[in-house]
Amino acid sequence: MKSAITVIKEQVKFSYLIRRLSIYELRSLTRGNYLGAAWEIINPAIQILIYWFVFGFGIRQRADVGDIPYFQWMFAGILVWFLINNSVMKSTKSIYSKIRMLAKMNFPMSVIPNYTIFAQLYPHLVLLTIGTIVLQFIGYPISIYYLQLPIYIIGLLMFLFSLSLITSTLATIIRDVQMLMQSIMRMLLYLSPILWPPTSLPDSWQPLMKLNPFYYIIEGYRYSLLGEGWYFLENPTYTLYFIGVLAITFLVGSYLHVKFRSQFIDFL
Amino acid sequence: MVNSVEVKNVSKRYKLYKKQSERILDLLVPYKDYGEDFFALQNVSFTVAEGSIVGLVGINGSGKSTLANIIAGVIPATTGHITSNGNVALIAVNAGLDGKLSGRENIELKLLMLGFSQKEISEMEDEIIEFAELEKFIDQPVKTYSSGMKSRLGFSISVRVNPNILIVDEALSVGDKAFSEKSLDKMMEFKEKGKTMFFVSHSISQMKKFCDQILWLEFGVVKEYGPTKEVINKYETFLEEYKALSKTDKKKYRMSALNRQSKKNEKPAEIL
Repeated sequence: MKSAITVIKEQVKFSYLIRRLSIYELRSLTRGNYLGAAWEIINPAIQILIYWFVFGFGIRQRADVGDIPYFQWMFAGILVWFLINNSVMKSTKSIYSKIRMLAKMNFPMSVIPNYTIFAQLYPHLVLLTIGTIVLQFIGYPISIYYLQLPIYIIGLLMFLFSLSLITSTLATIIRDVQMLMQSIMRMLLYLSPILWPPTSLPDSWQPLMKLNPFYYIIEGYRYSLLGEGWYFLENPTYTLYFIGVLAITFLVGSYLHVKFRSQFIDFL
Repeated sequence: MVNSVEVKNVSKRYKLYKKQSERILDLLVPYKDYGEDFFALQNVSFTVAEGSIVGLVGINGSGKSTLANIIAGVIPATTGHITSNGNVALIAVNAGLDGKLSGRENIELKLLMLGFSQKEISEMEDEIIEFAELEKFIDQPVKTYSSGMKSRLGFSISVRVNPNILIVDEALSVGDKAFSEKSLDKMMEFKEKGKTMFFVSHSISQMKKFCDQILWLEFGVVKEYGPTKEVINKYETFLEEYKALSKTDKKKYRMSALNRQSKKNEKPAEIL
């Protein structure tokens, strides 16, 4: 509990630093390619097309999901996945790859995973804007339900940060965690409601699939973008579950982070 | 005179593992030790008066860089205390720069991390670039820099930050003669301003010219600490004797030291 408060205080106190550092992080990531930042859009676009081709066109034979065409359904869900996947992978390795740069123990280390996640937010917002424009032309105009989008964005950022406190600490101590996270994320892509609707599974499987907190966020995004309803209000228990998972992850994450952070440099 | 840096009973323990599995077991299994202890520093104590310049000498592996890093607050000490009066800057050859970013961006990033505001950063930037003599390379990515350029950049940033205590870890040996002279001038200027400095180097002539005090480390313990004239001569004599030793004698000497370094709570008195 005490470490949780320490971590929160650091985030508040250094919020300016987080914003500024995230911009340098973004520059460092996009530098070196001729197309630079454009890859943040090109890469998702290629993936969306190939998934649509394989799953929508090939496997599902262009069948709709409920009354929503497959492309629109998949598109609304996958937009946020790029943010999730990139943030988890980048933040997991953030501490051990950046600690040498910081070079001072008294630097607030909990800021490191936070700003790597923050750096992923900018391309996401651009992608989201483009996604919204695309949706205008394929039958899903902007609606009142867009208003709930900030809830999922903020909820997701908080969860990603909490998770990164755990994964970045473990990955610094045991480098294999980075590989493990890569496998887990690849698995989660197929276990989340992104490429195929898990609602087609037997009813007894539904709660199991929903244990995955990203399920909540992805469905929330989809409800907002496709104007299906107020997801967090219509599923109050699930909303509470998400908040519970978030709280526990944060408590565990800040405990681990604070416990090990003075020794991080020794693990390099 | 006020003490600027006080190092008290500082030890630094590293764990040596034979296998990766030992490392994981050591983390997971409580109350049981895996791996071998290795003390890079053992019970190091000394005080440095404000405004003095201390040279750290010792043969390879004696713990000079470890000590420099601990004083700078880059790595934590296993036991013991360090009190330093003012902010400390460490200048090392591999002074954490982001290779993908340009020199200018690295300056901004470093200063940002040190807690300077936007306005202060833009004020300092030009001076740093000028001192580092990087004119047209400053907007190139740092990964394309030569090692001399990198250390010049690192040195210029650390110097401009205006620290109270400056630690120079062999950084000057990379630059060319002109730059290392310029750096020495800068350090002389600091000396006149009454700043405390630490100087890690193998160059005895530089030490003689520059340092007031010499701290001689040998395999993790303080062998000798005192005014430059007294200690540096003893160190030079030692070096010659050491050089003259036969290969097996050298090895024996090292092995006995290594043995000592893997024991716990050894008192430094033994070696004196």
